[in-house]
Amino acid sequence: MSSATRYFRLIGSLGRYALARELSFRGNFLAKVSVEVLWLGILLAFYRTIFARTSSIAEWSEPQYLFFVGCFFALNGLIETLFLENCDGFAELVRTGDLDFLLLKPIDEQFLITCRRVDWSTAPNVVMGAAVMVLSLWQMHWAFEPARIVAFFVSFACGVMIAYCFMLMLTSVSVWMVRNQGLMEMWWLFSSLARYPKEIFSHTWADPIGRFFTYILPILLVVNVPSQAMVRILDWRMVGFTLLATIVLFWVSRKFFQKALRSYRSASS
Amino acid sequence: MTPPELATAAPSEMEVPAFSMPVESNPAGFAATLRKYTKIFRASLVERLTYRADFLFSTLLRFLPMLTTILLWQAIYATATPDETSTPGHKRLSGFQFDEMIAYLLMVNISRMFSSMPGLAGGIARDIREGTIKKYLLQPLDLIGYLLSYRVAHKVSYIISSALPYAVLFFICRGFFRGHVPTEPTVWLAFATSLVLAFAVGFFFEASVGMVGFWFLEVTSILYIVMTLNFFISGHMFPLDLLPRPWSTILKSLPFQYMAYFPAVIFLGKVRGAALAYGLLLQLCWAGVFICLARWLYRRGLRRYSAYGG
Repeated sequence: MSSATRYFRLIGSLGRYALARELSFRGNFLAKVSVEVLWLGILLAFYRTIFARTSSIAEWSEPQYLFFVGCFFALNGLIETLFLENCDGFAELVRTGDLDFLLLKPIDEQFLITCRRVDWSTAPNVVMGAAVMVLSLWQMHWAFEPARIVAFFVSFACGVMIAYCFMLMLTSVSVWMVRNQGLMEMWWLFSSLARYPKEIFSHTWADPIGRFFTYILPILLVVNVPSQAMVRILDWRMVGFTLLATIVLFWVSRKFFQKALRSYRSASS
Repeated sequence: MTPPELATAAPSEMEVPAFSMPVESNPAGFAATLRKYTKIFRASLVERLTYRADFLFSTLLRFLPMLTTILLWQAIYATATPDETSTPGHKRLSGFQFDEMIAYLLMVNISRMFSSMPGLAGGIARDIREGTIKKYLLQPLDLIGYLLSYRVAHKVSYIISSALPYAVLFFICRGFFRGHVPTEPTVWLAFATSLVLAFAVGFFFEASVGMVGFWFLEVTSILYIVMTLNFFISGHMFPLDLLPRPWSTILKSLPFQYMAYFPAVIFLGKVRGAALAYGLLLQLCWAGVFICLARWLYRRGLRRYSAYGG
């Protein structure tokens, strides 16, 4: 238990340190936030343009789809705040051999490597995404249901963890691959799968691909299950499966990461 | 998360080894020459294949966004209310059938292959900030000229090395192009011209943004805003025709459409005849405007430049 409190205290101090650093470059912070606001605006413009032509996409009605967009934006924002910058720096740590200094610290390597910096500039995305979600709930006259809220928060947390596990595995690959492509790009490409409702895969030739990314590499669960639970059908079996997938994936990705670390040859340090 | 400039991750960044050709002094004849060039070929190939895992992996990942895009538009076309001009079985949205829409979204990648300039503006701004721009002032070398020739070489190697993955992608998606590949040589010529001009517009536009570094030391944030906006207003996300009336007209009169939208619609035969000639002329004019703007900003900027650091 004391080790758990130690990690919480560490997260707290790392977060405070990052915030202090971020606030010493306030102009830069505001600029970064305004880019994110602009990007949300573009996503909403895209959504409006499409829904000017149709009343539903893959069985998602307009307000339901808006909720999906908000959920995606918030979830992605949280991942970027907590993990993306850290994972992006990993390849460089391996290349320069600076990873040695992190490995020497008396703390879990995975925690230190993936959580050491908090990127506060994307934290407002969580709030903006939440605002979009609330707006869509208001638009669809959502009836308050505590069960849905519970299911949403559980599967949202699982979604963040699943995404984190995939990011961790993509990050680990850079130990073996010479000259890794930037993780940012790889993450952008891979997470494009989670950007749209998974129903776009069904009833077409892509159905097996959709199943593959739901049950084998479950990236499609990430935004779909929380959105689904909140505004469409609340299927506890799916929420349960997401929970199970999160646990399995966490174990697999941790093993994978440790295997990668064992192959690290500490070059040029 | 805003879209990263994907072209930076392209195999373009891999440097092509420069082999200097040894002068042939051994008169052993054809066999020796052949052996020598085979060796060079093998060495180059090995150098290329060092990054094979990485290359294959990223190529594989690159297909994913295209897959979801196709599926998304399929879902949209399944329920959308078509234009009045649509014929049964050929649903059109703002004049685009489903296969044309996908062909458009694929062709936009080709436009961006020419017009995207990863790292150009940021590099200029860094040179200004760190004072390394001095090297262009001390030598008989023009900054813009140097960067232009560097960029052309970069683009050539990028286009050659990404030809194979793109060929595979287009081959898989060949069904969407059925009946939309231009048959007239003039359309091909216009398409090629618009791609070259897209390169010019993209290059000089970004160079101009980089020159802003003479006035503001930190331009990365401006750059991010411009690039994010460009993703939308250049027609990279969807054809500009889909936007409601005032917006589509406004965006089509801005220069950004020439970096993605315009070459793609030429290929699909959406602009023809006088409109095509007029469009190309306007694209040429915009290229000219940005050439002058970059030059002017450079000249004005140098007057302000006080050579810190370096």
